[in-house]
Amino acid sequence: MYISKVKIHNFKCYRDFEITLEEGLNIVVGDNESGKSTILEAINLALTGILSGKSIWNEISQYIFNKEAVDEYIASLNTAPIALPYITIEIFFGGAENPLMNGDANSDRDNNAEGFCFRIAFNDKYVDEYESLVQQGDVKSLPIEYYDITWTTFARDVITTRSIPYKSCLIDSSEYRYQSGNDLYLSRIIKGSLEPEDITSIAQAHRKMRDTFINDPSIEAINNKINQDASLTDKKIALSVELVTKNAWENSLVTQLDEIPFHYVGKGEQCVVKTELALAKRTSQNASIILLEEPENHLSHTRLNQLIKCISEQYAEKQILISTHSSFVANKLGLGKVMLLDNLRITRFSELSEDTYNFFKKVAGYDTLRMILCKKTILCEGDSDELVIQKAYMQLNDGRLPIEDGIEVISVGVSFLRFLEIADCIQTKIAVVTDNDGDIAAINKKYENYIGANQKDYIKICVDDVVDTGTLKIGKSDYNYNTLEPKLLKVNGLDKLNRIFGTDYTDEDDLRKFMKHNKTECALKIFESSEQIEIPEYILEAIRW
Amino acid sequence: MVNRLIIAAAGSGKTTYLVRQAMQQSDSVLITTYTIANELEIRKKFVELNGCVPHNVTIQTWYSFLLQHGVRPFQGVVLDDKINGMILVNEKSGKKYDGKYGPVYYAEDDYRKFYFTDGMKMYSDKIAKFVCRCEKETKGRVSQRISRIYPKIYVDEIQDLAGYDLDIIKSLLQADCDVTMVGDPRQVTYHTHNEVKYKKYADGKIEEFIRTECKKIDCIIDKETLNDSYRNNQSICSYSSQLYEEYGETGTKQFEVTGHEGVFLVRPDDVAAYLEEFKPMQLREKRTVKVNDGYAAINMGESKGLTYDRVLIYPTGTMRNWMKDHSRKMQPKTRSQLYVAITRARYSVGIVFDYDEKTSIEGVEKYR
Repeated sequence: MYISKVKIHNFKCYRDFEITLEEGLNIVVGDNESGKSTILEAINLALTGILSGKSIWNEISQYIFNKEAVDEYIASLNTAPIALPYITIEIFFGGAENPLMNGDANSDRDNNAEGFCFRIAFNDKYVDEYESLVQQGDVKSLPIEYYDITWTTFARDVITTRSIPYKSCLIDSSEYRYQSGNDLYLSRIIKGSLEPEDITSIAQAHRKMRDTFINDPSIEAINNKINQDASLTDKKIALSVELVTKNAWENSLVTQLDEIPFHYVGKGEQCVVKTELALAKRTSQNASIILLEEPENHLSHTRLNQLIKCISEQYAEKQILISTHSSFVANKLGLGKVMLLDNLRITRFSELSEDTYNFFKKVAGYDTLRMILCKKTILCEGDSDELVIQKAYMQLNDGRLPIEDGIEVISVGVSFLRFLEIADCIQTKIAVVTDNDGDIAAINKKYENYIGANQKDYIKICVDDVVDTGTLKIGKSDYNYNTLEPKLLKVNGLDKLNRIFGTDYTDEDDLRKFMKHNKTECALKIFESSEQIEIPEYILEAIRW
Repeated sequence: MVNRLIIAAAGSGKTTYLVRQAMQQSDSVLITTYTIANELEIRKKFVELNGCVPHNVTIQTWYSFLLQHGVRPFQGVVLDDKINGMILVNEKSGKKYDGKYGPVYYAEDDYRKFYFTDGMKMYSDKIAKFVCRCEKETKGRVSQRISRIYPKIYVDEIQDLAGYDLDIIKSLLQADCDVTMVGDPRQVTYHTHNEVKYKKYADGKIEEFIRTECKKIDCIIDKETLNDSYRNNQSICSYSSQLYEEYGETGTKQFEVTGHEGVFLVRPDDVAAYLEEFKPMQLREKRTVKVNDGYAAINMGESKGLTYDRVLIYPTGTMRNWMKDHSRKMQPKTRSQLYVAITRARYSVGIVFDYDEKTSIEGVEKYR
């Protein structure tokens, strides 16, 4: 059993939203404020009734409703009142293991579906009160006090979170969970991994501890003292310990890590421990989903690596949903599992070839997510190309860096085609700036899927179609006249470049050799120069597009 | 799948049998029965034999089962509104108005009025029809879903199901689950609303329904397992069997001797003495029948499922005629009533009946 789909209506930033999940690992990638956490929150809320670490009954307010929907409703009150907005979170289960939850009470009208709907909606019981409120014109905000929270299966059975045979475990590193001594979250996870007998013995031990405390001579002495001093009342005053409920130990015990209370341990470490505990939990009883929010926060590179290793080794048995904006996490866990969240919509990467997944898994340092998250990307070969492109962009755009306009310039070495495959999935604008290396035919062959008849409107290949030639030799081999440096020389001339580099070559070939051996330095000089630099046309093409 | 129809004699320990069967299952089990009284009886039996109802066993009345698993999961094919339970009706529901030639009813197209009260309660006589509609329009998803939830289904009091109920039974028999149906066709509860569908299988003709309408479906018809009565002694079994010769004679496992066993005619004048001597429970057709107010009395219809050491029956005219001549016509309902009444007693059945020396009824003795 696993969650195959989640549909959200009117919850926080989502008016109407749908995300399909797979068994095992799922990664949601998105910018800050894109709504990643809201998805995790929504799933956890629907499965546990807990929002921000507290019961939803205490947390329900207008602010968890979609603002647009609320505004529309409030505005309508002055003219023709529309129906009160409500929140639904529908959880669809895959695996066909839950016939009790099978039915057509889902927004897809699918009678194959199994799952349930979490709902915060106006309770019809209060319709009279509400009507008089509206007539008096007293409604200025959502009448939350008339709202009710229900869980209903697709078979229209009203249930509680207890009877949902699927649990969730939200692991995030925000502050609010640590207000009380013990992290309820952690204790829940630990409790989940214990046998019922273990829990009973903990509770008994805890009770014994309390009895010992009360019967301790010093406490008795203190109680006697209090009673001697008390004069305002005839009743007996005594210091005692609160009578414990069955699960009191959860609140008064503290989990320690290497003798340090859990909440004093670094946030990153907490995250790792919780994740490991959650993953280690026995799977037989209840299937569950682990919701992991931005694990890269608070973690060093090495620790992150360990965490990811732990996740990727065990996700076969668990469903995991990770939100992240770290390319490293995404690459390492597999780009095929990545869903891009953009403008509150989801795009999947499942069409990438096996080869490409493996490439990015191994070379996980590539900033794939930068490309995924931006408006437009310019791919180039190396650092020097990157600098020149940045410079060219600034010259054309009043000195703004491309990143300020949401445009990424990424040097990808020779892996252009791998990145283009990703581009195919996300279909955001990608320009490739590449040298022709003196062989236009080879370039055309390499990019045949993206030019001519196969031209795609989101991919542009920018290459100089003039092949320059010359006689210069480097050692025994021919000098390549068709890379960035000679092309720059061609448009800017010897004098200007000499000025910029602070050199005084009289022969162009000497400057070519200098540039070849000092690529990055030359590019930096060009980038920092206050002089107007002429830019080869094929680069300008990529920027103007 | 193994389907089985068990014809049970009165007092044959049907409930005990059912409960013992259910206790042996490790799969999820559903036990459903027509009346609330019998549902309680089954629960009580579980407590008696097992201490509690096992977690894998669900006991529901037929209507509550139909509402939860027949109506609600796929009601979307008709309407999406919240259904607020059901309302028991004793006559045909959904009346539009009283016309010149009798009442006029809403048509099914007007489904809100046809199936529901204004408060969205479902009429009890329409539930099964609604379920059949869902089953048809979802191409069998209703029965498929039920069979996935409950691999083992026991339907008690199967004789009480009629009309569209039978179509639901047919769907379940075809689904991938084991259905065991238990009932006594001689003890039908008569519905005041007359179901037109499958009318010929009314009056407890469940066996005929299985043989005719479900002949392509495997279903064992078992008349042996529950043919012996633990309640009635041999004379009572024999006499009650005369009412339904087509089912053969019921056997007995009640051999206790008390000094007064069998079926006896009691003259109206002797009733007081008989009551005094044996303290039987008085059974009458309805409240208006005069009985001796000094002793307890109960309507025959309400006595179903109950056991007494001794009973005294106040027969109707039709019943008396039948006693004199078995070929006399008797309504199925009356026949069933008499059968139920006779089979309540462990040891003795008295029948208020004016007789003289010439009177001779097979299987029946005279009190004085």
